[in-house]
Amino acid sequence: MLAAAACGHRAAARDATRDATRDATRGVTRGVTPGLASAAALARMPWDSVVARARGSTVRWLLWRGDPAINHYVDEWLAPRLAMRYGITLDPVDAQGPAILNALVVEREAGRTVGTADLLWINGETFHNLRREGLLAGPWARSLPAAALVDTASPIVARDFGEDPAGYESPWGRVELALIYDSTRTPEPPRTYEALADWVHAHPGRFTYDQGFTGLAFLTGLMIHLGGGASRFTGPFDSARYVAASARLWDWLARARPDLWRHGAAYPQGVAQLEHLFANREVDFAMSYNENEVVSKVRDGALPATSRAYVLRDGALANAHFVAIPFNAPNAAGAMVVANVLLSPEAQLEKARPDGWGDGSVLAVDRLPPEWARRFARLPADARQVPRDTLARYAEPEASPRYSELLQSDWRTHVRTGTTEHPSAGGDPESRTTRPALRSGP
Amino acid sequence: MTARASGSAPGAALAGLVAAPVVVGLGYSAAAAIGLAGPAARGLSLVHIDRVMRDATVWRGLAWTIYAAALATALATAAAVAVAIGFRGTGIGDRLARIAALVPFPIPYVVAAAGAVLVLGQSGLLARLAAAAGVIHDPSGFPPLVLDRPGLGFILTFAWKEVPFLTFVAVSVLATRGQQLEETARTLGASPAATLRRVTVPLLWRGLAPAVVLVFIFIAGTYEGAALLGPTDPLPFAVATYERYQALDLTLRGDGFVLTLLGLILGLAAVAVFEWTRARAERLRS
Amino acid sequence: MTHAPVPGRTTAAPIPVATGASPGWRGVRLAMVTLLVISAVGPPALLAMLSASQSWFYPALLPTGWTADAWSAVVRRGPLARAVGTSVVLGLTTGVVGCVLAAPIGRALARLHGAARHVAVAAAVLPAAAPPIAVATGLQLTFVRAQLAGTPVGVVLAHLVPAVGVLSFFFFAVFTAYDTRLDDEARSLGASPRQVWLRVTLPTLRPQLGAGVGLGFLVSWGQVPLTLVIGGGRVHTLPLEVMGYVQAGETRFAAAAALLLILLPIVLLLVASARLVRGSAPASAPAPASAPAPASAPASAPTRVSA
Repeated sequence: MLAAAACGHRAAARDATRDATRDATRGVTRGVTPGLASAAALARMPWDSVVARARGSTVRWLLWRGDPAINHYVDEWLAPRLAMRYGITLDPVDAQGPAILNALVVEREAGRTVGTADLLWINGETFHNLRREGLLAGPWARSLPAAALVDTASPIVARDFGEDPAGYESPWGRVELALIYDSTRTPEPPRTYEALADWVHAHPGRFTYDQGFTGLAFLTGLMIHLGGGASRFTGPFDSARYVAASARLWDWLARARPDLWRHGAAYPQGVAQLEHLFANREVDFAMSYNENEVVSKVRDGALPATSRAYVLRDGALANAHFVAIPFNAPNAAGAMVVANVLLSPEAQLEKARPDGWGDGSVLAVDRLPPEWARRFARLPADARQVPRDTLARYAEPEASPRYSELLQSDWRTHVRTGTTEHPSAGGDPESRTTRPALRSGP
Repeated sequence: MTARASGSAPGAALAGLVAAPVVVGLGYSAAAAIGLAGPAARGLSLVHIDRVMRDATVWRGLAWTIYAAALATALATAAAVAVAIGFRGTGIGDRLARIAALVPFPIPYVVAAAGAVLVLGQSGLLARLAAAAGVIHDPSGFPPLVLDRPGLGFILTFAWKEVPFLTFVAVSVLATRGQQLEETARTLGASPAATLRRVTVPLLWRGLAPAVVLVFIFIAGTYEGAALLGPTDPLPFAVATYERYQALDLTLRGDGFVLTLLGLILGLAAVAVFEWTRARAERLRS
Repeated sequence: MTHAPVPGRTTAAPIPVATGASPGWRGVRLAMVTLLVISAVGPPALLAMLSASQSWFYPALLPTGWTADAWSAVVRRGPLARAVGTSVVLGLTTGVVGCVLAAPIGRALARLHGAARHVAVAAAVLPAAAPPIAVATGLQLTFVRAQLAGTPVGVVLAHLVPAVGVLSFFFFAVFTAYDTRLDDEARSLGASPRQVWLRVTLPTLRPQLGAGVGLGFLVSWGQVPLTLVIGGGRVHTLPLEVMGYVQAGETRFAAAAALLLILLPIVLLLVASARLVRGSAPASAPAPASAPAPASAPASAPTRVSA
C-alpha cells in the first residue's frame, strides 16, 4: 500500500507539466505571481519586458548562508540596490547543494508545480544532478544583457566541472583551491605535490585534509596531477582514466597515511574543523576553495595573523559558481533580473574586494568599459592573498563531476576504513555495485 | 471500570494520531529504499537494500553507536544515582548539588558537542592546562579524546549531558516512594547499608529504567555529537545515514533511506524495551 | 526539585543514608558538589568568553583579544536577535498547544489496561524515540503538498510531533499518579465530566501543566532536524544559527548564539527549581502574576481555551 502511495506521487509528478500550464494561467489572472512565465519563454522576450514583470516582486534565493562576509555582501550591498532600482525584495534562504536537490525532488513528488524558490546558488555536482533530474528551468542565462561581459574564453567560467551550462545557469564568481600555512611555523612551504609528500614524511602528524567538499577538491586536484594533468581530464567521464589515476591517488595516500594527522585514522568532518586544527597548531596546513578567504578569516580572528594562502605549482583547481532557476520557480523574471545584476561590473567589483568577500570576478576585463577595467586593476591586494598573476598561471579547471562522485564514495568505502586493498585493485569498476550511474550513463 | 476504559477510546485514537507521522515516515523511507521515491528513483529495485546489507562499515558503525551510547548512558545513570542518593537532604550543599546537576538539561546537543571539542580536543582547554603545567609540549602529546575510535570525548560529553534528566527522574522516584519503603525497612531492623543495597538501589533501578532507555535512544540518535566527536572509522550510524542523504552520487541517497528504515526499526525495538521496563516499574508502584 | 510530577504528595525530610557522616564521605561529597558546580557554571562561562574573544588559539589559556562585534550584532537586532524571537514564539506555541493535545491523551493512556495500555504508550512515545530525520522526511512530502513547508505554522506542527510524544508520556505519568477521588467527589456532587475536567482536574494540575509547557518549549527550543527540513531554511531559529556558525567555523558568533540558546532555559530552570526546592505544595502554587512566564501563562491556558 505504501508502495502504491509512492507510485501515486510519481504519477502526480508526471502530470507536472500539464498542471504547470494550468497553474500559470490561474496565477497570472489572479495577479499574485507577477513573473509567472517560464524562464525559457522569458529569455525570448525583450529585456525591458522581463524587467517590467520583475518590478515589485520578491525573489527567494536559496544559498549558503554560513559566511558572514557573503551574507554582508548579499544583505547590505545587493539587497538595497535591488530594492531601489527594481523594486525587487530579495529573500535569501539558507540551503546548500545536496539539500536543494532533495527539497526540489520532494516538491516535484508532491506535485508542487509552483514552487517556493526562484534562484539557486549552485555548481558542479549539484548542477549536474539537478540538470539530470530535470529540475532546472532554461535555457535563459545567455539572454541576460550582462552575459555579454562574461569571460567565456576561460574554460573555468565557460564550463562547470567540464559540463556545458547550456544557458541553464549563469556564472556568479570564480575561486581557486589554495593551501593555507602559517608563515612563522612553515617559512618555506612545499610548492609541489612531491614536495608536499616529502614534507608530510618529514613532519609526521602535521598534515590532513577534511571529509567535506574542500578535502574532496584537494583529492581531485591530486588525482588529476597524478593522472597526467588537467589536459587529460577534459571532456566526459572516462572510466579507464579514473581507474588509472585513482589507483595512483590511493597509492599516494597509502604512503602518506602513517604520517598524516592521527596516522590517517581520523579526518576532520569539514573544512571548518580543519581550520580549527590549523589555527590551534594541531596541523600546519588548512585549505580553502577561495584563495582570498584567508583575509576575512584572519580579520575575524578565526586564523592566526601570520596565515598565508598559496597554490601549488603543479596546478590548482579552479571553478566557477553559478545561479540557476528551478523548474517550478514562481518568479523567474525576478530571478533573471537578479542574475543580471550579479553580473554587472559594479556588483562583481564589490564582490572581489579583499576586505569584503574576496570572490573572483567572472567578467572578461577586455570586454569591460575602460573605466571599469581600470577599477578592477586597482583592486587593493593583501599580502596574505595569492598574487593574481600566480592564480591565473596555475589555475586548472575541474574535471567531470562523475570523477568527484566516485572519489567521494571510493574514499569513504576504502581509504577511510584503512583497508589495504585499494578500490582500483578490484579491477573492472563496472563490476562493482557502486557503479549504477554507468548504467544510465553520466 | 469498563465504562472508563471505553471512554478512553478517543484518547487511544489520539495516541495513534501522535504516532502517525512516524508511520508516514516509515512509508516514505520504505518507498525510497526500494527505489520508488526520493532523488534518482528509477523504479522498483533492491539495490539500495542489498548494498547497505553487505556494507560492513554500516554494521561496524552501528556496533560503535550502540557501544558508545550504552557506555555514556551507564555513566550518566551512575552519576544520577549518586547525586540522587548522595544529596537527598535539605542542607545548602544538597540543594546546590541537585540544582547544579540540573543546569546542563537545556543545553542542546550541538552546543554540547561543539563545546566539547573546545574543552577536550588536543588543543582544547584541558590540553592547554596540561601545556601550561609543562606536562605536554605539543597538542599531539595530549591523548586524543575527539574523533577517537574509543569515543571517549563522545561518551563523556553525552554522559554529562544526560545526567540532569536522569537525576531529575531519580530524585522524583526517591521522593515519591523511597521514603516509606526505606522507613519500613529501617523499622524492620535493616542497617543503613542494607537498606541502601536492598531497598534504595533496586527501587531506583526499576523507577529509572524507562528513562535510561530513553536516554540511550537519544544518545544513539544524535547526529551533531557523532559528527563532531565520533570517530571517522567506524563511522557512527547517524553520520553514516546523513552522509548518504547528501552523497554527490544520487544513487547513493536511496541507501540513506535504507539506513533510516534500519534506524526506525531499532527505534521501535527500543520503544518496546522502554515499554517493558516502564510496565515493570509500574507494577512495582502499585 | 524533590517533587515528582505527582500531585497530592509532599516530600518530607529524607532519611540520611549514612548517618554520622565520616570525613571521607564528606570529602567525596565536597568533590562531587565542586564537580557539579563546575559542570553547571563552566559551559556558560566558556561560551561567554568565546563570544567576546577576538582570537583564542592554542596554547593561550585566555583569549588574546576581545571584541564585542557578536554581541553588538545581537543588540542591533541582527539575525541572531530575530532568531531568538522566532524560537521563543515557536517554543511557547509548541508548549501550550502540545499540552492542550497531550493532556487528554495522557489521561486516556492512564485509564487503559492490559495490552492496549502497552501499545498506546509505545505509540505515544514513538515520535520522541524515532530518529528525527525519519520523522522529518516522513512529514516533508505531506507538508510540501499542504503548502506548510517553509512556514512557521508548518514548523510548529512539525515540532508538535516529538513534543506531543514527550508530553503524552509526561501526562500519562501525571494521570497515573493522579488521585481520582477528587474528581469522583465532584461527580457525585452533580458536576458534568466537562465541568470536572475544567474546574477540578486542570486547576489541581496547574503546576504540572506549567512543567508540561516548559517541557514542550524545550523540545521545540533545541530542535534542529525538523526545523531544517520542514522550515527549508526559511524559518530561522536559534539552534539553526548555532549550527550554521559551527559549520562555518565562526566560533565567536556560534558561542554568542549558543549562550542565548542555553541562558534563557537555564534561568527558567533555576527559577522553577528554586520554587520547587523551597517546597511549595502543588495546591498552593504562586499566583500567576508572580510566577515565571512559562509556568504561569500556559498553566491557565488550557482552561482559557476551553472556557
